[in-house]
Amino acid sequence: MPFVIVIGMLLAAVGSARAGKNALVEVGIVGVPPPNFQNVLLNVQSVRINPHANVGPGNPRWNNIPVPPGIEGAGQSADLQIDLNTSQNVPQLFNTTGVQAGTYRSAELLLDPNNPGTLVPNCPLAPPLGNASDGCIKYPIQLAAGTSVISVTNTGPGGLIQPGNRKLTELVLQVSMTIVQAPTTPGGAYTVAVTLASPPTNPVEMGVVKGFVNVKQGSGSGSSPTGKVRGLAVTAEAIGTNTPIASAPVKNGKFTLELPAAGGPAAPGFGTLYDLAVAGGLDTYAAQRLLPLYPGQSITADFTGSNSLTGSQKLGNITGTIYDNCVGGRPIVGATLQLLIPPDSNPTANCFPSETSPESFLECVAVATANTDNTGYFPLPGTVRIPAEFNNVPIHKQKHYVMEVSAPGYDNLFVYASPGRNNKGGACSTDGTTFTACSLALNTGYISGTIPIEPPISGQTTLVQVFAEDTGTNNIESALPAPIIVRSSNPGTVSFTLNVPTEPIPPATVRTFDLFATTIDLYHGTTDPYQGHTIAVLSDVTGPAQPSKPGACSTATATFDQTITCIGHGSITAGPDGVANADLGTSVVLSKGNVQITNTPVQNQSANSNPLNSYSFCIPADTYQVQRLQLPTPDPNATPSAMPTPFLDGSAVTVTIPPAPLLNAPTASPTTTNACPTTCQNPDGSCPGICNDVIQPL
Amino acid sequence: MSALGAAMAFSVAACNNQTGFSGSVGNTPNGPRLASYDILGTIGTPFTATVSDSRSSWTLQGNVPLSIVVCNNTLPAAIVATKTTNNSNLLSLEIVIGNYVAELQSTSAPFGTVSVQAGGSLSSIASRASPDLRIFAAGPLDERYSALVEDTTTGFVIGARAPTLILFDSPDGKVDATFFGNQGYGTLVLNMTLNGVVVATSVHSKTIRQP
Repeated sequence: MPFVIVIGMLLAAVGSARAGKNALVEVGIVGVPPPNFQNVLLNVQSVRINPHANVGPGNPRWNNIPVPPGIEGAGQSADLQIDLNTSQNVPQLFNTTGVQAGTYRSAELLLDPNNPGTLVPNCPLAPPLGNASDGCIKYPIQLAAGTSVISVTNTGPGGLIQPGNRKLTELVLQVSMTIVQAPTTPGGAYTVAVTLASPPTNPVEMGVVKGFVNVKQGSGSGSSPTGKVRGLAVTAEAIGTNTPIASAPVKNGKFTLELPAAGGPAAPGFGTLYDLAVAGGLDTYAAQRLLPLYPGQSITADFTGSNSLTGSQKLGNITGTIYDNCVGGRPIVGATLQLLIPPDSNPTANCFPSETSPESFLECVAVATANTDNTGYFPLPGTVRIPAEFNNVPIHKQKHYVMEVSAPGYDNLFVYASPGRNNKGGACSTDGTTFTACSLALNTGYISGTIPIEPPISGQTTLVQVFAEDTGTNNIESALPAPIIVRSSNPGTVSFTLNVPTEPIPPATVRTFDLFATTIDLYHGTTDPYQGHTIAVLSDVTGPAQPSKPGACSTATATFDQTITCIGHGSITAGPDGVANADLGTSVVLSKGNVQITNTPVQNQSANSNPLNSYSFCIPADTYQVQRLQLPTPDPNATPSAMPTPFLDGSAVTVTIPPAPLLNAPTASPTTTNACPTTCQNPDGSCPGICNDVIQPL
Repeated sequence: MSALGAAMAFSVAACNNQTGFSGSVGNTPNGPRLASYDILGTIGTPFTATVSDSRSSWTLQGNVPLSIVVCNNTLPAAIVATKTTNNSNLLSLEIVIGNYVAELQSTSAPFGTVSVQAGGSLSSIASRASPDLRIFAAGPLDERYSALVEDTTTGFVIGARAPTLILFDSPDGKVDATFFGNQGYGTLVLNMTLNGVVVATSVHSKTIRQP
């Protein structure tokens, strides 16, 4: 999935057309952060707009645009945390809501007055005097203006925006932060100035997808088992995923979506790939896979003619339970289920993979999604008014849906699913002929092993998390269900058992994994966003065999030889030379010992006015490799059959972050009262000092 | 609020002297105000989490959104959550006390981890809860409700939104809970687990009781 759009992955609300509020406004945010920070985080409570300029907070004409669903709900207090670093080129979608048509001259960004945001600086190139200013830790911010309400106005005749009835209008806010004063005391706050501009000074990287949706009269009963029906809507998803980017209602047979679109130094830009899923009403599903979307351009995606929907469908439901095929009766919590259909651009795509075409499902589009609850049951309930997607499935008379079931650490399962009438839950089949209740088991295997570790001093714990990814990739398949708690009494080794999938990835005949183990640390007793312990890695571990029958599951072993030790923070940054010839498909991957650990997009690129082509990692002091990871540039004239796969580009460069100098002399009787000024503490009571940064352009 | 209070008073009275409960249940004194640990972000994003106060800890799996409330908790407390999906969905961990966000941390990284603390510094994760008693209020999604959750000595009033996982730290005797919603309130789906085994379920009743 192109990372240029990942920052906008909250489910944008379908604007509710309340009385008199028939104009839709979609808010996007682009960031202009200060340099040399790993994260520039603002905690946003809401955005509001007003037809008048210079009005007070009590003015009745304010229109509130809340944080999106998943964050906001039923008046509950919650903040959306945005990172200005990750939205420097492509806007992060905030939310969409209905307002009265008219001219709006004021917009305000409301930050959390109690906790407006956080800064995470990279490690200092030249540590300041004293030992209290570590990098890669959280610093609070205080706002220089003394108010958490950030405003922008335009008193011109056109104002900031002029949303019209039944039209979607975008309001892109450029949020800039500058440092006024660095902290002067340990744990102190950065004093910052936050300003707002609209339109942004840099080009707005948004595009439009619009079209007609024709619904033919069907011959069904046109009924729902609960009497409640989801509204017909078109949802843009990141290509090949069920991740919604934005959703628009179908009104009078039309829809319009404003979507992030990756630009670039040369026209038309890099391009962003989307799928469209059409679902809701009493209508059949439909889907399209689109050509790349470029900034300022428009794609027309019609669902008409032979691609029309059919109405008056009888809706059914698909319910059931997902459980572990190795441990009888153990429910799988948090499994994901998707209904897949071929897109109009590829109507013969086979969504049910076979031995001869094991990846054919990648050509299909997810039109409905469900998850399992703490008993393995699906779907989770919808709201009082809007039923869950799996409780509003149009019933096909002659064919079944393909349903993909996935969970971390398990093999994907594909079944045919037939929705049930009258709330009976439907039926599933692995072969398309014998249908039974959708009680489905997922296969798994285990990797068990040990990792050497220096235990913490008495009174502290260290949390260890282990990840498994497909060998040679950063495609993480599994993590421990809970981190391992390491106490001072630990003999120096932790044991782990990890669920992993067993099905080989063609053309390989056995499944292999790269493993890495990280820690979750504290800094001054509070949570630390980046760890201070070394990362242990183990590459090319042969995974367990596939189960021969239910309950007959295999275990592979993995013995780490790298010891997890307290080493302190560190950072790698691109410096002024940045990443050469980067585009919005370029990222940088960080590896250790041939095991990919993480990656980050190249940020602040052309066509911004002062492009830096920067990247940075906060990572414990150690020796790593950094390398370009490149998404292929989409063909502007060809609809892709599946989500493109990134490839390693160029040579890996070895980077060594020098360990921070040790603070506090080792002692025979260390205690927690011998507090360390940085992150983790060694068993002898010493601890790493201020961390180091290494500049590595690519 | 008065209607809600009256409803609660009625229900609390009705809770008294039920078979299998101590005679004091329903007359339990109120416990302190509880913090809510909200796991938010892109709807449906799966995660695993470890919740710990200074006495007990719990591990759990779930999907966004989920509110977690620990009855009878002993601060400080901490929660660590790891996304279990290899995409860039948002996972945001927020501690809500009263009506404000006391602390939050977010990640969009594949299998990213976030952690927050409440009530001070928790330097050590506590031992696993024993007994491990949980009440899961599945939905309807976003439905706001109030609940009285009590053991034989203390009652805790919770204001939350579904789905919610209620953990009871070191209950004294058996636990019961009664839920109250607003007008137009949907059917709350409840289940209670004890040490990982479902011991009670409730779909149409507002009350769930440990057998």
